[in-house]
Amino acid sequence: MRKFIFISPIIVFFCIIFIFLYLLITKSDPSELPSALINQKAPKFETLSLLSEKNFLYEKEFNHDLKIVNFFSSWCIPCSAEHKYIDLLSKEKGIKIIGINYKDDPKKALQWLDNLGNPYSDVAIDSNGDIAINWGVYGIPETFIVNYNNIIQYRLAGPITKKNYEAFYQQIIKNK
Amino acid sequence: MLKNIKINKLFFLYIFLIFTGSVVANNCNAVEPEEFLKDPKQELRARNISQNVRCLICQNQSIDESSAPLAKDLRIIIRNKITEGSTDEEIYKFLTDRYGDFILLNPPFKTSTILLWILPFIFFLIAIVVLYWHNKNSKKNN
Amino acid sequence: MASTLGNSALWLSFLFSILQFIVSTKNINSIIIFNRIAVTGLLTSTLASFFLLMYCHVTSDFAVINVFQNSHTTKPLLYKISGVWGNHEGSMLLWMLVLSITNYFIFKLYSKNNSIFVSKTLQIQAVITIGFLLFILITSNPFERMSTIPSNGLGFNPILQDPALAIHPPLLYIGYVGLSAVFSLSIATMNLENDEGTPWYIYMKPFVVAAWTFLTAGIALGSIWAYYELGWGGWWFWDPVENAALMPWLLSTALLHSLITVERKKSLQAWVLLLAILAFLLSVIGTFLVRSGILTSVHTFALDPTRGIYILIFIGLLGSYSLILFALKSKNFLGKNYFSFFSREGSILVNNLIMVIVCGSVFFGTTYPLIVEIFTSNRISVGEPYFNATVIPMIIPAILVMGIGPLLSWSKVDSKKTLKQILPSILLTIIIIIIFFLSYRTYNIPGLVGIGLASWIISNVLVTLFLNIRKESKKNNFAISSFLKHFNSMIIAHLGVGLLIIGITGSSVWQEEKISRMKVNDEKMISNYNVVFKEINEVAGPNYLALRGSFWIYNQNNKIITVLTPENRIYPITKNTTSEVSIHTNLLRDLYIVLGDGDNDNGWVVRIYHNPLVVWIWIGVLIIVIGGLSALKNNLNILRLRNL
Repeated sequence: MRKFIFISPIIVFFCIIFIFLYLLITKSDPSELPSALINQKAPKFETLSLLSEKNFLYEKEFNHDLKIVNFFSSWCIPCSAEHKYIDLLSKEKGIKIIGINYKDDPKKALQWLDNLGNPYSDVAIDSNGDIAINWGVYGIPETFIVNYNNIIQYRLAGPITKKNYEAFYQQIIKNK
Repeated sequence: MLKNIKINKLFFLYIFLIFTGSVVANNCNAVEPEEFLKDPKQELRARNISQNVRCLICQNQSIDESSAPLAKDLRIIIRNKITEGSTDEEIYKFLTDRYGDFILLNPPFKTSTILLWILPFIFFLIAIVVLYWHNKNSKKNN
Repeated sequence: MASTLGNSALWLSFLFSILQFIVSTKNINSIIIFNRIAVTGLLTSTLASFFLLMYCHVTSDFAVINVFQNSHTTKPLLYKISGVWGNHEGSMLLWMLVLSITNYFIFKLYSKNNSIFVSKTLQIQAVITIGFLLFILITSNPFERMSTIPSNGLGFNPILQDPALAIHPPLLYIGYVGLSAVFSLSIATMNLENDEGTPWYIYMKPFVVAAWTFLTAGIALGSIWAYYELGWGGWWFWDPVENAALMPWLLSTALLHSLITVERKKSLQAWVLLLAILAFLLSVIGTFLVRSGILTSVHTFALDPTRGIYILIFIGLLGSYSLILFALKSKNFLGKNYFSFFSREGSILVNNLIMVIVCGSVFFGTTYPLIVEIFTSNRISVGEPYFNATVIPMIIPAILVMGIGPLLSWSKVDSKKTLKQILPSILLTIIIIIIFFLSYRTYNIPGLVGIGLASWIISNVLVTLFLNIRKESKKNNFAISSFLKHFNSMIIAHLGVGLLIIGITGSSVWQEEKISRMKVNDEKMISNYNVVFKEINEVAGPNYLALRGSFWIYNQNNKIITVLTPENRIYPITKNTTSEVSIHTNLLRDLYIVLGDGDNDNGWVVRIYHNPLVVWIWIGVLIIVIGGLSALKNNLNILRLRNL
């Protein structure tokens, strides 16, 4: 008992150091923040469509396919940078991508899509950011993988880049 | 990118131990007068809740003190919910359902945080045992 | 040129620190001359490299990366100088400088009968010095140069352009590094198993007192800065950075008090040796937590991971060596001097335990999110509400005990006599609480508790003072000079704590806040004051542009008290905007105005705070520091007498 008291400081110390070391070495990418919505049903919303100027047809868009939901805005610089990867996923891999236009001027958003190309099957307008909050979005761009049952499988906070594109695509394949 | 532009007050505190090469600024535009509710009781509740809710894109700062747009959105949502008659618990649940426990500055009492809440008490008990032991031995000595 | 010289001086310091290590392993008296060379050489070369870096900053030598990143030609001279330690690399060099000065002081301890002890201490100290020097040379060399010379620097952070923040880091570093000396002394004591019968605690005490005093002052300056610079009306945020400085402070407070017990009763020796190790380890761990970026993982980009790994390896080696040594040797330092709870040493033990568990809780709260992150997929936050809920209830018993502790006698206590002694302060405390309650009609429990604790401390200090004087006047005739003599360092410091509690209670419990949109000529009432927004103007500062609001403050008799002029500043070079608070202070309250966004048509967002009693926080800390300095003087005198 007495011995244990004298050894306990070094034991506690080693535990702390190993925790720190583990964190430093395996330091996960900050953008891999686990979403509270993983394995939850994709939140529903009612809004207008940016492309058709009519109601966004939630039931039609969230059908029985795997889909990706991408929050973007024309004023967000990393969104422009990630756009070519979204494009790639849509046009080359043939994956259904739903856009959600976060706090944007519809005119500017349309202009932006004209310039960079439109990979989205439809774009929902989130003028005051309510949809984003319901989806637990921290900051745009954020991209969700939603499976055929409309269950959220994965969330990427931050842009898709050259670096994480392949890993992200693997996540899509995994959930197909 | 929305989340990287906003820098917060506590980031500056990093110079407490001298941090390096970070661009910082202090914006004192937290909760704004336009957001206030008419009923002072409801407003007090709203402020209390916002002080316990983390500004997600800041470092250790509540949404009440933050100038980030997301913090403002959340403040407005909290106030709307209060006027609609939601209880504090319902509002906290609304937030954690979407953002997880990470959004609460005051960690909830559950399995993953049991140690956090209990350990200070265990420390306290150990201290009492040490004192008692010392006291007992001192009587034996005399 | 200067940077090359500085770099060479740094390498020279490295050689001297190795020399210090080698020569201090030999326990021969004649070798002390080499030790002198090593220690003074280290000090001189570190001083040289520090001032060469300062020279680079002052002359704006932008070929040096460190200067380029942190300076600009338009920076005022004072901040060019303080800018030397206003960044990671420079601050490590400052740390090194303080470390070599400490080495010099330890060397000065040499006398005929303690040469082995001091040599051993210098040897441990050399290991720490080598560790930090390698860290600077490998991962954060301030003299690194660029191939091209830019025409101007990247600028500086305007928020750092502040006198309080210029002296805050040196004070904190004196504290941390002072703890390194305490650490080395503890290791030397355990290593030598106290063969020479050296009264190690007498050597340790001045370093503990110095470290504690400077840490106190450093933390307070950081708080003052946060109070007037951040514009939130608060002064403590339980931020990891603040916790990193608070934890060593808590342990050194415990250390300071238990050393007195060791001195008097030779008990608690093993405990003190352990505290000495932990206090220094915690200050390095705090540095690691803040600089490795592992606490700031959310959306801020981590710093260079090699730095984190280096510091961690360094802590790992230091910590495992010292704690294994403790596990092996501490049994030699176990006394059989148990004491009862109800005695002076008992009260010190209570406070020690509370300081340590508070420190443990703060450490645990700060790092818990990391633990959760590892073991679950979940992420949590631990913020201000948690720390307030755990720390404050634990501190309250410590304050109660702190009040009576100095009145208890060593070892055995006559409980009836003690009760008679503290009766006046119990009555005084109750009376003050009742008066306070009746005059303010406040049902605010935290407020009453705070005021009660403060009056408990202060009245006990007065009782102690009175008893001391009575004891004296029985012997001699009473004189004013002897009255002052009785203000010993403990009484001064405890008085400071009492005043500090008044300030903390007032500012956190009765703070009043008015946030509103005001147009020119609008009025706002806060407490008994009428605040009138008179005008708003553009003004140009040395390196910024500002919008300055003018607020005239009237009291209830409609007499003008002061004009407050908060500003919104734009620094064009770094494109930073800052908000300059304007404060009017008196002994009862601060009026605190922050100017926010807005325009002339819609008005400006103005936050007005009425912060009662804030100034007592600073006065309290100042008195505590004075108490610390007076204790330092006494302890150095004792040491000098001993070494004669």
